[in-house]
Parts: sequence; C-alpha cells; structure tokens
Amino acid sequence: MVKVIVNGKEVEVSEGSVVLDAIKKTGYSVPTLCFFKGVYNEAACRMCLVELPNGKLVPSCAYPVSDGLKITTDSERLRKTRRMVLELILAVHKMKCYQCARKGGFCLLLDFAKEFGVEGIPVCAECPLHGEDCLLVKGEPCLGFLTVAGCGSPCTREGTPCFGCRGPVTREDVIESAVKRFIEHGVDLRDLHSRMKLFWSSFPQFKHVFDLVLKYEKKYMGEKK
Amino acid sequence: MTWNLMDKCCDKCWHTLEYPCRNYIRCRIEGPLCHDDPDCRRKREYRIREILYGKTGFKIKVPMASCTIAAGAQEVYKAVLDEVKSRGINADVTISGCMGMCYMDPWIELSKTGMPSAIYANVKPGQVSKIISEYLGGDVSSAYALRNHTGKAKGEDKVPLLEELPQWKNQVRWVSRNCGIVNPESIEEYIALGGYRGLDKALKMKPEEIIEIIKKAGLRGRGGAGFPTWLKWKIAREQPGDVKYVIMNADEGDPGAFMNRLLAESDPHRVLEGLIIAAYTIGASKGFIFVRAEKPLMAERLSKAVEQARKYGLLGKNILGRGFDFDVEVILSAGAFVCGEETALIAAIEGRTRPRQRPPYPATKGLWGKPTIINNVETLAHVATIMAEGWEKFASMGTEKTKGTKMFCVTGAVQRTGAYEVPVGTTIKKLVEEIAGGPGEGRRIKAVQIGGPSGGCVPASLLTTPIDYETLQKAGAIMGSGGIVVIDDKSCMVDVAKFFTSFTVAESCGKCFPCRIGMKILYDTLTRITEGKGREEDLEILRELGEIVRSASLCALGGTAPNPVLSTLRYFEDEYLAHVRDKKCPAKVCRNLVEYWINPEKCIGCGTCKQNCPSNAISGEPGKKHVIDVSKCIRCGQCFIVCPVGAVEKR
Repeated sequence: MVKVIVNGKEVEVSEGSVVLDAIKKTGYSVPTLCFFKGVYNEAACRMCLVELPNGKLVPSCAYPVSDGLKITTDSERLRKTRRMVLELILAVHKMKCYQCARKGGFCLLLDFAKEFGVEGIPVCAECPLHGEDCLLVKGEPCLGFLTVAGCGSPCTREGTPCFGCRGPVTREDVIESAVKRFIEHGVDLRDLHSRMKLFWSSFPQFKHVFDLVLKYEKKYMGEKK
Repeated sequence: MTWNLMDKCCDKCWHTLEYPCRNYIRCRIEGPLCHDDPDCRRKREYRIREILYGKTGFKIKVPMASCTIAAGAQEVYKAVLDEVKSRGINADVTISGCMGMCYMDPWIELSKTGMPSAIYANVKPGQVSKIISEYLGGDVSSAYALRNHTGKAKGEDKVPLLEELPQWKNQVRWVSRNCGIVNPESIEEYIALGGYRGLDKALKMKPEEIIEIIKKAGLRGRGGAGFPTWLKWKIAREQPGDVKYVIMNADEGDPGAFMNRLLAESDPHRVLEGLIIAAYTIGASKGFIFVRAEKPLMAERLSKAVEQARKYGLLGKNILGRGFDFDVEVILSAGAFVCGEETALIAAIEGRTRPRQRPPYPATKGLWGKPTIINNVETLAHVATIMAEGWEKFASMGTEKTKGTKMFCVTGAVQRTGAYEVPVGTTIKKLVEEIAGGPGEGRRIKAVQIGGPSGGCVPASLLTTPIDYETLQKAGAIMGSGGIVVIDDKSCMVDVAKFFTSFTVAESCGKCFPCRIGMKILYDTLTRITEGKGREEDLEILRELGEIVRSASLCALGGTAPNPVLSTLRYFEDEYLAHVRDKKCPAKVCRNLVEYWINPEKCIGCGTCKQNCPSNAISGEPGKKHVIDVSKCIRCGQCFIVCPVGAVEKR
C-alpha cells in the first residue's frame, strides 16, 4: 500500500494503481472522457489532468502512484486547461447528434460541455438556408442563432423557424450579436420571448440567458429610436 | 592478397571467434602481445602505415556522405578514378566521410609523401585533371587549405593551414575527430586510428565502474532533453530481470539538423562501439539501431559496420573473451518525425504506433515491457570517446552543468553552412559569426532558430547567450538535437513560425487532442494573420492556446511544438502587431500584405513586366514608364522576378 495525498487528504491505495483510483477513493472527482477501466487506458483525451507540486500536468488515468505523491485536482489553471481541451474537441466535433447512437442521451461530451459552459456551434452552422433564404432575414422568430447545434436543423430545413429545443447558447457575445440581428431584421420580440420560454424554461441557464437577452434588447432598441 | 590488420599475424596467434583473445584489440596496433616476433611487429607497422598514407605513397581521398554525394562527389570520384587510370599514376583512391564543412562540398584531399596534404574545395569533375597535374607538379597554390606545411611545394605560403582557419580553429573536434579522415567502410582503418580502445577498456571494468566514469565525465543526453546518461543507465541496470535492451536512436528528423547522420555516415564504428559499451553496462544482450529510412546511406553504413564487427568478434557470443554476448539489429523507421520520441520509437519497433504516457519510463518498462535504454547517436559516440580518452579531458570542457562538446548544424543565412563541434557554453555569436561566417555583407541577423521545429527563436540581442540546456530554455528555445537556422532580415518571423508549425501539424500523430487540434488551430490562426485577416485578439489566442498545448500534451512533440510560435510572439510582437493592425509585413514576405509598384525613376519601359503579367495589371507604352494597377494585381511576383533593372519594388 502506498500513501497518496489528494488535495491535502491522505489516502492509501494498493501499489500499481493509478492516481485516478486514489482520487476516487477520497471522494473527489475529475472528468474523464477516453478512460474506460480495463479497456482503454491511453491518456489521450487529457481531460483528467491533475497538477503535481512541481507544476507539471499529468493525466490521472495513467500516472502511476508513488509513496507521498501530492496532487491537486482543482485549480484555476486546471479548470482553464480542461475547458480549453473541451473547446478544442468541440471545435472539430461533427455534432451530428441526430445520427449518433447516443442521441444526446448518454453523452459525456455534451454533459461536460454543459458543466464547463462550453457550447458547440449554433444551429445556424448546420442550417442549409443562407443569405436571402434565411428565416431570420425574412423576419421570422427563428432561434437557430441561439440554440446549440446537433439536431441537424430539421425544422429550418422545412421552412419552420427553430424552436430551440436543444437549449440556449450562454456566451454573452453570441447573445449580443443575435439580439442585434433580431432587431435589425424586425423580428417580433414578443413572439420571440414566448418561443424562448417554450423549451428553454426547463434549462437551468435560462434565467441568465433571458436576462442577457432583455438587457441587449433594451440597448439596441434604444439605439434604433 | 594483402594481409589484413584484423587477421592473424602468424600461427602463434591463437585468436578465433569461438575462443577469442582478450587483448585482441590492443594486439592489433601494439602487438603482438602473446609472443615476441619482430616480423609480426613489422607486419603491423607496415600495414598501419599503408592504411594511413596509402600503399603507393600518393593518396586521393574523396568524401562519400549523403551531403557530398548530393553536391556531386560521385561524379568527382569517377573522374578521379578515370584520371588515375588514364594517366597510369600509382595512387590509392579512397573514400572518407564528411568533414562537416558542407559549404565546400565536394572536396578532395591529395596527399603524397614529401608534399603537404592539400584540400581542394568545390571540385567539379572537369577540374580533377588540372588539380592532379598541378599537385603532382609540386604546386598547391589553388588548394583551399593544407593540413601541414613541408616548405617544398610551390605556393604553400599563400594557402592557409586547416587549423588556422577560423571555422576549424574555434572547434573542438571530440566525437567528430575521425570525420573526413577515416574510411567509414573499413573497420581496419578505424582500429588503426585507435578505435575500439574504449570497448577494450570498458570490458575490463565492472559495469558500475563504467557508470562511475560516465558520471564523473558529466555526460548528458545529446538528443535534446539533456537527461544524465549515467542515471539512465543506472536505473536500467538496477532493474530486475535478465532481458534488457539497448536502442540507438538514429531517427533524426529535425529540418536543418544532420549531425547524427554525419557521425553515423562518417564514423559508424564509433557509435557502434558506444552501443556495445552501453549494452555491457546495463547487461543487455540485444540491441537495435533505429535508423530513419529517408537516410539510406546512414542505414547502409551502420549495417556494414555491424557486419564487420560481427565478422571480427566484436559482436556476437563471448565478445573479446569476457563472457558477454551481444548482437545488434538495424531497423528502418517508417519515417515519422514522432518516432524520435522514445516511447513512439519503442512502439514502432514493436509494430504499433504512437507514443504513450510516461512514466513508466523506458528505463524501467520499455521494449516489450523490459528495461530499455535509448540513447542518441551522438551520446553513444561520446561514450566511446570518453572510454578511450578518459573522462578528465571531457569534463574539463563545457559549463558547470553540462560538460563536453556538442555538435551543431548551422544552416540558413550563413556563408559557411555545416556541422561544427564546439564545447558547450560557447556563445551563439561565436558559433554563427566566427565559425559559420555570419550572414555576409550588408545583411543582418534578425534571429536564430535553435532546436528545429520544437525549438524557439532567439533574437539577435540575445546572441551572446552561451549555449546550454538551461540558458536556452530560459531564452525560450531548446537545445534539441542541435540544429541552428540563422534567420536574416529578409525573413518574416510570422512566416517562420508558420513554417515550423506546419511541420508539427503534419507530423503530429493525432493521439492526444491538444496537439492534434490545438496545433491545427494555431496554424490556421497564423495563416489568417499572414493573409492579412488577423485580428488583435488572435495574438491572445495564440499565446493562451500555445501554453495549453505545451502543458497538456501527451509527449514531447506536443510539449514543445508551440515553442516557435510562443518565442516569436515573445520577441517579435511588433511584427505580429504590424500584421494584424497595419496589415503590413515589415519583411515584405507575406504575399497578401505586399503591394508591388514600379519605381518610375528606375523603369526603362522595356515592357517585360507587361508581357509576363498573368492578370494584365500592368499598363504602359514601350519606352515609357509602366504602372501596376493594384486592384487587378494578384501579387504573383512575376514582374518582380523578370524586371531587368529592379524597378519593380515591394512596399
């Protein structure tokens, strides 16, 4: 048995185990994506990084324990790194949830994306309508600009404005530019609000997003007058 | 048939492959040791003289290494052979390795008893006849350098001695001592020059004593990371189990670095000797030489060396009668840059791909789960030399933390491109300006890129930095394998960073996300900046993402890949800002940010530019000043190239 200190808490684990075992034993948790005990242990996703006292980041799923090893599982730097890694994965992820076997049901990637506040691309990116065909440009209350992609945009494809069933994007700059567009193209704001409430009110981040929408509506409506 | 130095001198010598003599190596030169026979002694002395000066007293040496062959050494060799044959001269035409001074390739060396050894640089096949007749006529005035003075030849005082040239004088040729002198395809010649002495000495010691000697010498791995060699060996030696492996890492992939290739092509027996010593020290019975397949001559020379060593009992069972068995296999790499990383190299030998997480380090769990040590070619050459020459001399060179010498390949904007060996701690300035000759008249060094695609750019203001692992790391670069690319003011630093990033993007194995996706995004951002679509936030993205890729990547490739971006961003931020703010490229390299115009003062109205313009952007009558229509110009640069008076300028 070797002693490992996780966030100042001592724990004993058997020799030959990895840091992740020790972390689990203390009750702390680190996000893991590619790790599957006994099946895949290649430390490829770099989500489970932990910090050593010398400032090195090591993957907890593959780093062997040694006596007196001190590790930190949570810090500003670690959170930033994990978030960035997640952003990188989502940046090239195809987000074809509608084709995926998981159907967004048991998807670690989406769960982490929600947890870290990293969204993928909005529905607009998948939408085949561009330019003059865009529903938003036509003045229809389409929420595609503010909704997380992955559905394959079945509604807008058929000419129906997006209902936002996959939840809102929370990034402030995206919301700001979306609201700017809504006002620019003369979308009916009351219609828009009711549409937002339809699906989004069940999402925990709804209040935050809605407040931001109202804030920027006030700003840009004022500018327009 | 002539008697070979490696053969028995008479029937009294009882050495066979089955029952080897312990003093076999020493006996070759100092011998005979087991019996006293003046005839046998004379036989050896005569043969050694023959090897060193040629049978006929007139030796013509043509270098045969990848670099010289590329410069045309094979044609020169053929021309020399033809010349010797047609004139009926009694001469030995032999090959040698590369001297490391690539700017004078292909060179030939002529030496005749009573005449100074003369080196002729940049020889063309057509000049061979003239050179030989001049030399035989006692005139050396057209030589590039001489190895010695005799005072008998004509024009001797005009030609400098090789030792007096700045590029030779400032070097300390420790591992490269035989490069350009010894015939790389002859084990006999290597032994005549004192080779395999280190092995002879090492096999008489206990492995712990060898580790102690390497520790006292203070040798650190020359592959880039600078891990103490003795410690690696000690860890591997202390591992339980009797199956261990040694691997020579000859997978040199950095653009601009070729010192391993040079060593292994010019003096392959020295590196092989180092490998055998390493195997004896850790108790391995099987070794691998992992050679890059793109360097076929290097693989050929090493295979030949292994074959010869096996033939004379320096590899195989019961080496030199010490009860130590060891054999070597040469393996060709599939050519991926990442295979230079030790865990990826092991995976490649095992038949898998991609690196794995360390620890466990290969010294405890490596090839097929057994303790394995992986050493660079240059490190092993150092080991052989230290064992032969003693650690005191090695430890007296270098800095406090790093002892000895290191080979550096200086390329780019310098007059004398080549591989030079200097003590660690020599300043970059001395290496680049005194030895390599600087960038030439009217040009200015802007930065020096050290360590290949994983290294960084050191600006001209830091050229006085002594080269050492720690000091370079502080400056934002790494020692790496030792490739130095000199960048002058004609290069754009954003473009340089983009070039090195494109290399790592292509060579990333794709296992871990930060390296695979992060580097691609870095490259895309740099491309955007060079195309004039950059924003000021991009610099922050580069900095932040580079830091993440560096700290979160799995292996050393990703861990060092952002270095070119981060170091140029650190020292040349103004150039990046000029690209994103003013949309101007200060060095006028980035195509989309350059505007061509015709200087009316210089234009002679010849119309060449108008004829060559693919987009009809140039207008003007013959004999009158021409003008470029910027809105039509596609910036192909044709007019810039074809203008006979240089009137087309960039702005």
